[in-house]
Amino acid sequence: MEKELLEGQVRLVNEVIRKGICVRCGACVGLCPYFQYHDGKVVVADRCEAGTWRCIQICPRIPYERASLYEHFYQIKEQPQVLGPYKRIIAARSAEMQIRDVAQYGGVVTALILFAIENGMINWAVLTDRGESLAPRGLLCNSREQIIACSGSRYTASAALQEVNLAIKSGKQGIGFVGLPCQMEALSRLALSEPEGRERFSSIALRVGIFCTWALDWRRLRSYLEAKGLTGIAKKYDIPPPPSEIFVVETQDAKMELPLSEIRKIIQPGCKFCEDMTAEFADISVGTLEGEEGWNTVILRTDKGVELFDRAVQAGMLEEKQLPASNLDHLKEAASNKRKKALQAREEGEDG
Amino acid sequence: MDKVSTTEGGKRMLLQANEAIARGALEAGIIFAAGYPGNPSSEIIETLAKASHDLPIYVEWSVNEKVALEAAAGASFAGCRAICSMKQNGVNVVSDFLTNLSLSGTKGGIVLVSCDDPGGISSTNEEDARAFAPLSDIPLLEPSSPQEALDMTRWAFDLSEAIGNIVMIRSVSRLSHSRSDVVVGGLPDFTARPYFDTQVPFHTFPIITKHQARHEKLKAAEDLFEKSSFNYYRGAQRPELLVIGSGCAVDYALDAIQTMNLWERVGVLKLGTTWPIPRRLLLKHLQKCQHILFVEDVDPFIETHVKAFAAERAQELGLKVFHGKGSDELPSCGELRPAQLLDFFGNYFNLSWGAENFTNKVETLINGRIPPREFGFCPGCPHRGSFYAIKTALAWDDRDGFVSGDIGCYSMAIWPTGFNQLKSVHAMGSGLGIACGYGKLENFGFEQPVITVCGDSTFYHAALPALVNARFNNADILLVVLDNSATAMTGFQPHPGTGKTAMGEPTQPVDVVAICKSMGLDVYVGDPYEMKQTAEKLYELMQQRGPRVMVLRRKCALVQGREGGFPYGMHVDQDLCIGEECGCGRYCTRIFRCPGLIWDKEKKKAVIDQVICVGCGICAEICPQGAIKKELK
Repeated sequence: MEKELLEGQVRLVNEVIRKGICVRCGACVGLCPYFQYHDGKVVVADRCEAGTWRCIQICPRIPYERASLYEHFYQIKEQPQVLGPYKRIIAARSAEMQIRDVAQYGGVVTALILFAIENGMINWAVLTDRGESLAPRGLLCNSREQIIACSGSRYTASAALQEVNLAIKSGKQGIGFVGLPCQMEALSRLALSEPEGRERFSSIALRVGIFCTWALDWRRLRSYLEAKGLTGIAKKYDIPPPPSEIFVVETQDAKMELPLSEIRKIIQPGCKFCEDMTAEFADISVGTLEGEEGWNTVILRTDKGVELFDRAVQAGMLEEKQLPASNLDHLKEAASNKRKKALQAREEGEDG
Repeated sequence: MDKVSTTEGGKRMLLQANEAIARGALEAGIIFAAGYPGNPSSEIIETLAKASHDLPIYVEWSVNEKVALEAAAGASFAGCRAICSMKQNGVNVVSDFLTNLSLSGTKGGIVLVSCDDPGGISSTNEEDARAFAPLSDIPLLEPSSPQEALDMTRWAFDLSEAIGNIVMIRSVSRLSHSRSDVVVGGLPDFTARPYFDTQVPFHTFPIITKHQARHEKLKAAEDLFEKSSFNYYRGAQRPELLVIGSGCAVDYALDAIQTMNLWERVGVLKLGTTWPIPRRLLLKHLQKCQHILFVEDVDPFIETHVKAFAAERAQELGLKVFHGKGSDELPSCGELRPAQLLDFFGNYFNLSWGAENFTNKVETLINGRIPPREFGFCPGCPHRGSFYAIKTALAWDDRDGFVSGDIGCYSMAIWPTGFNQLKSVHAMGSGLGIACGYGKLENFGFEQPVITVCGDSTFYHAALPALVNARFNNADILLVVLDNSATAMTGFQPHPGTGKTAMGEPTQPVDVVAICKSMGLDVYVGDPYEMKQTAEKLYELMQQRGPRVMVLRRKCALVQGREGGFPYGMHVDQDLCIGEECGCGRYCTRIFRCPGLIWDKEKKKAVIDQVICVGCGICAEICPQGAIKKELK
């Protein structure tokens, strides 16, 4: 019994939550009453003594063989190049001004989700809302208004996979999910998990990943911003391209530039172990296009991703253009740096 | 059925000792009674409150014990007889006034009854309140039967008036709640008319003079005790062992001696007047033999004082061998049990009392039929919802927050029924006082949020000064008043918030929310049954600073049960229940633990115990599968 318990919730608590390296992806939330997400944190509400442990099998911070995911999703055995497997990489933006106005960069994610819903490729989307007095959280939605309201980057985690878990539990099919690389990892691990991971994963019809270097700890970000006099819902967070070294926060009535060096202090500690910048386990991954305001870099990784993107372009929802070679080089360099740092952090972590 | 308030003198009644105390007070002609509920004392005031419908007496539940005794003293100063009752903890609350009152002296007969709870069966402590008698220099009487409880109480008022000071009576749980037939005395005509003689003030000055007078009063009491029929000797003229004791413990000794047929070898000096100890009487009996055994509940009170006296008179008495708590031959903690005395006599005289026969008899009767039970909130208890919400909010907050509490039904939250949330329990109101300390540690790096809980009755009793302190010193505290609109643990006595007095008269309710608001505190009212909403509000309040108050209001489930019951019929849809599987792990029966939810061992599913479940409906919210269904009855 003792040994079994150590393989269950206790292990997740000891190795992830207590260590403070939970990245708040939400994969373990919504499966049971024992883990809960509240105001930017995944917390342990009670101690579980169950004999099967889905939570352990899908947590991206519990060490596992990444090769198994490459093999399952891409049928490759060796570590792919630094941006992960893909079919095409291009620059794109939403054709709609209304979307571009509220989007972080080019509005590609919002446009793709809208298109996928409107064309029946997905029935539901799980996105991340803007939060109010509490942290942003996942939102199960299917209306244009809701989808547009979720546009823009949060710079914090939202545990939105909780909503995916709840949606699957309530029998929803055709779910599209937009999330960070850690969430894509967790969702992909679900496909390989026992006892009914594959079956549950079959409810997922689309995975759209967002590029991510790190995410901030929401509660610390809120206190930091409150100390700077910024309260209320942020309209937009942004980090202009180097060498600016600033973090820009826009609220309803203020815009403030804060030193990135201070912001880096409130990065989630668990992010340092993440080696994936471009969300390798997604159908499509989307990020900024540095140097060109209002455009996104888009990586099409699966046939499904290519099909959705091409149909959206044909339908006039998206505009695409070639990705400049210098951007691709820079993206690879950034992704490579993140991977190197993560592997180094893991070695240090293991030594420690 | 015969009533305590109307039965004629000379009649025999079946009375609980607490009722007998009340009857004794009535026979003494009290016109005033005050107290604060607390097991095992509550029935005294309850009996008198009922009697107030037939007799011209005034009875109140006071806001706390100190105020109760002060109010009773007012009646005494005005020349009337008054009684004041409480449990042992109450005497601590009273003590500041008591040690002053015994200096000023009293006029109309006044009696303080302390019902001690050996073993702390329904208390936060085990305490021997007799210590307050020597501390205050007041006479102490200890009845050992319901009859004696009546006779002693009636006489205590005469004694009080004879010496001009308050008299203390000490009962214990086992006596207070025992019933036996009692021959009652006659009732007086209650003609006392209160009048305060302005020529005779009551104060403690000059202190040394008054202290001296207090000692003289005590001496006068001792003179009366020497002749008191509450003290008697029974047994051999030249015993091998002399038993000295008081209260129920003496009865246990008498039974043991009878059972073991030791009347030829043992003598018993039963003391009913235990402070000051009747020295002449003791001298006479101590001379009878060398070996002395003390039997009494909780502390070695008689033992210590008799030993000191024997030392003083060692020249006459010679060397004595003392047996009891001091020699570790009887336990120093816990309620004294008859078997312990049988064991003592067995060892002492090298005799068997057949312990095995009793054990076998008990085992045959029980035959494994008593299931293990843990302390638990009743089904439908609002505290379960409150602590579930508190637990949830503390988990969400995730800064190692905790709950500081005090005494009430909600003290059971130190156990799984309240999710082990309560981390400190002491005296009435102490949870909030302690929180005032935590609430000022921030500058030293203390970051754990603290929630403090108190009941509604406790709020008035002792939490109010601590709340004023928190406001005054701007302590970071979040007070949760668990307002179940009852003094539930002690038996639903009215309190200042209920709008009804002990005598059943309507009164303006003292509003907790209005009090807090008048202090400039932000107050929120929530419903313990709305656990999620309550948790969200608590979480929000935990992020704020300074003193904050949330009142969680829902009637005690037992009161609700009497007033029409609950709206829902509950059942578990066993097709939806996943039992021990991942995703639940028996959450309802293992974590939530309402006694209305039980585990169907054969089907490995949860099920509602329809006999126990009252239909409050709150467990429907916690089932991860939505398998617990509620339907309007």
